[in-house]
Amino acid sequence: MASAPRHLSLDRIVGPFAHLLLAADLPRLPDERRLEVVGFVQRRADAVPSFTRFGITMIAVVYRAIMVVPGGRGAARFIAARPLPVLAEYPRLIRSLAYAYVWERWPDTRPDGAAR
Amino acid sequence: MDAEVLVIGSGAGGATTAAVLAEAGFDVLVVEEGEWIEQGSVVPFSLQQMDLQYRAGGVTVALGLPSIAYTEGRCAGGGTEINSGLYRRPPEDVLQRWADDFRIADLDLAEVSSIADEVERALSVSTVPGGAGAPSDVLRRGADRLGWQNSEIPRWMKYSNDDAGSGQRQSMTRTYLPRAVAAGARLVTGCRIERLEMVGGRASRAITMHADGRLGSIQFRHVFVCGGAIQSPALLQRSRISGHIGRSLAVHPTVKLTARFADELNVPDDVPVHQVKEFAPDLSFGGSASQPGLVALALSDQWRTFSKAITDWRRMSIYYAAITSEGRGRVMSVRGLRDPIVTYRLTRRDRAMLGSGLARLALLMLEAGAEEVYPSYRGAPVVRKRRDLATMQSKFSASKASVMTVHLCSTVPMGEDTALCGADSFGRVHGTANVWVNDASLLPTAPGVNPQGTVMALAIRNARRFAGSERPRG
Repeated sequence: MASAPRHLSLDRIVGPFAHLLLAADLPRLPDERRLEVVGFVQRRADAVPSFTRFGITMIAVVYRAIMVVPGGRGAARFIAARPLPVLAEYPRLIRSLAYAYVWERWPDTRPDGAAR
Repeated sequence: MDAEVLVIGSGAGGATTAAVLAEAGFDVLVVEEGEWIEQGSVVPFSLQQMDLQYRAGGVTVALGLPSIAYTEGRCAGGGTEINSGLYRRPPEDVLQRWADDFRIADLDLAEVSSIADEVERALSVSTVPGGAGAPSDVLRRGADRLGWQNSEIPRWMKYSNDDAGSGQRQSMTRTYLPRAVAAGARLVTGCRIERLEMVGGRASRAITMHADGRLGSIQFRHVFVCGGAIQSPALLQRSRISGHIGRSLAVHPTVKLTARFADELNVPDDVPVHQVKEFAPDLSFGGSASQPGLVALALSDQWRTFSKAITDWRRMSIYYAAITSEGRGRVMSVRGLRDPIVTYRLTRRDRAMLGSGLARLALLMLEAGAEEVYPSYRGAPVVRKRRDLATMQSKFSASKASVMTVHLCSTVPMGEDTALCGADSFGRVHGTANVWVNDASLLPTAPGVNPQGTVMALAIRNARRFAGSERPRG
């Protein structure tokens, strides 16, 4: 019986960026929660339709490349905070997924991520 | 597997088609890409529901400036399982305009109205006993103060003993799908149709892929494609069926705001049932799902200044302004990509309408007693007083907004004008002998109201026409 080809996982490029963004946006989110949120973001990013996935991969690779050079993590955070066409859509997606998960899972989380 | 009639998709179009044809004596096989999820086994409007019952976990987008987020059901019962369940009868003026502009033959308004009556009985369409709840009342109160037309929209919901809390959603898994199965139809879930094999305008076989990746095939005499306005044209394109397919996607683009009130009103697992139709069909207002995760999402575009409000989510609810758009989109299948590329282009008038619509909605919220209003676009101010509305509207740009939609249609419009229509007056795809479309794709334009009542009525009309002209193999 024939079967379908499988696609490559986005975990390695989406995960580190989601960690970076959450550490900056929600600095007091407990580590175990942040891990759980990043896991959720990775699963969702992995499930998006083909073309969106292609776009995410391209932008995510750009951010990942910036992050691995010295001082790159600060630069990635800086770029993510700017309303740049196309590039800004990626952090926006990560934030949307992460915030939706955090406040559905732990509704009384404070704006800085602290558990109440 | 084989079947006399293969129905692809089990939502508002597919389930009704299957029931009509099975009850007419046809051997019907319904194939659904998603799984059967029992009602009550997941919390409505939760991320878990999105994982289980939405395509791609709800992360689907029509590319454009701005891109428009949309959602599609991917489960037995399709969109009827996951949406608000709000029911609107097919608007007669819209039907008449479609008949005239797209040359739809024999579109008898009295017949459609009679079918709508049947649908309403089958789905127990009704209003909430004893009043519709605080988030709904916000819409009523604000609209009444402004003298704007508003009303409670009935839903496909069955209540026992006039108890508002006893509501049981009468979606397709509770109504037309069981009817189809009782009449002999078979339902297979977790099975995607990759393409139809066509020989000289006739489809004979569907290539399938199961959830575990196994490929297979289904032989049939007739096929009804009912996968919704994105998946139906995509399947036809993958099957090399040409014509006016996927070129005229129409949606109701929607922008949102979150309003905070003095008292707690948030209802995490339900949606408001009032709508404000003062400016319809161009513009309408209603309420959205507002569980705390969605409130955080709605605030996220301007998180730096809005984030403090999240701790007050119990006093907050989300509302939308939806427009009838002049813009159009496309659905394009590309060889080698599993999913179609979807695009949508708002017109200048659409963009202006979204901005003025959001400002009017904010005004309505203030009139209803909102302490603060948080519009969902980058750079938005907090609105506390009427005088803030001008600033809000001047800072608005559709490109900065989180625009979304849940109403998708018109990708295989029905009618005899082949320059405008992908299917004939009863859904048979032009240029084919045995391929029908019977879902929201057929609606020639966005109807300006919740579309699933219209989808069901037209799907039943078309299926009956088919049953009247084709004999079951027996």
